[in-house]
Amino acid sequence: MNDREADQIARCQRGDQDALKEIFDQYHKKVYRIAYGVVRQREDALDVVQEVFIKLFRSIKNFKGKSAFYTYLYRLAMNTAIDHSRKKKKTTFLSLDEEGGFQPADGYEKRPDHIAAQKELEEKVRWAIDQLPQDQKATLIYREIEELSYQEISEAMGCSIGTVMSRLHYGRKKLQDLLKDMVKGRGSE
Amino acid sequence: MKDSCSSISQLLERYFDRQATDEERSLVERHLPVCQTCHERLRVLEGLRKAIKAPVDEALKEETFPWVWEKIERGIRLEKKPSWQESFRSWLDLSPLSRKKVWIPAVAIAIVLALVTSPLLFKKTPSYSERSVVEYVESGVYNVMVYESEKAKVTVIWLFEGPQNESPAS
Repeated sequence: MNDREADQIARCQRGDQDALKEIFDQYHKKVYRIAYGVVRQREDALDVVQEVFIKLFRSIKNFKGKSAFYTYLYRLAMNTAIDHSRKKKKTTFLSLDEEGGFQPADGYEKRPDHIAAQKELEEKVRWAIDQLPQDQKATLIYREIEELSYQEISEAMGCSIGTVMSRLHYGRKKLQDLLKDMVKGRGSE
Repeated sequence: MKDSCSSISQLLERYFDRQATDEERSLVERHLPVCQTCHERLRVLEGLRKAIKAPVDEALKEETFPWVWEKIERGIRLEKKPSWQESFRSWLDLSPLSRKKVWIPAVAIAIVLALVTSPLLFKKTPSYSERSVVEYVESGVYNVMVYESEKAKVTVIWLFEGPQNESPAS
């Protein structure tokens, strides 16, 4: 943590909203990437960003500087996004058929011309990510979207590097199975 | 030296995540051109990363974050002052004691002690503090003693005719 960041955090801990604005300017895009990685919808991701910075302002007094500030913020962002996604699941328009396969619940297959292929792919990725256990999902998002190192992920999640590697391995394996047809052709694009 | 596919395959994800050591990286890079299976696995990992990451990059590129900061400011302003119960709960959440959960046995012990000691504390003992009045009047005919208890609203009067005959009447 550099001096500037330490100063911003200390001011924010004293209730200075200008300091929060400086932290927001610096980190809002990163928080948005994590949020979007989990919820996969623009409006929801923006809601999560707002919620994260309001929560940060309330809880920053608890930050003692034992870990890097960004890992503290990323953890807050990930937990908020996962909570948001869990609440949203009740009203999601995607559902599983009896075999557990992908099937849009609004009768998409009856009107394929109205939805772009790209949209379908995105929804399929979102559906596949939603099938992962929370810890594998969070680990994959930290690695694939935010490109954190194994060490940084282990700090953000409070687990060992071995656990990070194992979660990445099994998460990827499951995603590969779920998105088999999709990922084969994309690597060389 | 020909590296076995199974040992390289264990390194492949670390290599893909740029977390391999220099030595591991050169091992994988020597192996990849001669192994179609590992090469294909690497391509699948790349495809997966693109499928996860590309929509996020795309969304961020187009995002303008309209009124987000203003909404955060409003959210902070509108947050009500926490009640004392909420503050107490939040103190419990923040307390290192709470995190270690040591307060649970401490509270349990306090409750047991309270249960054990409360019968002793509230045990009824005979009280001599109740207000009462005793009057004694000597006369030529009778000696009279009057006892009044305020709480029980009882009045006892003794009439003494002499040392041999004494009878209470109320």
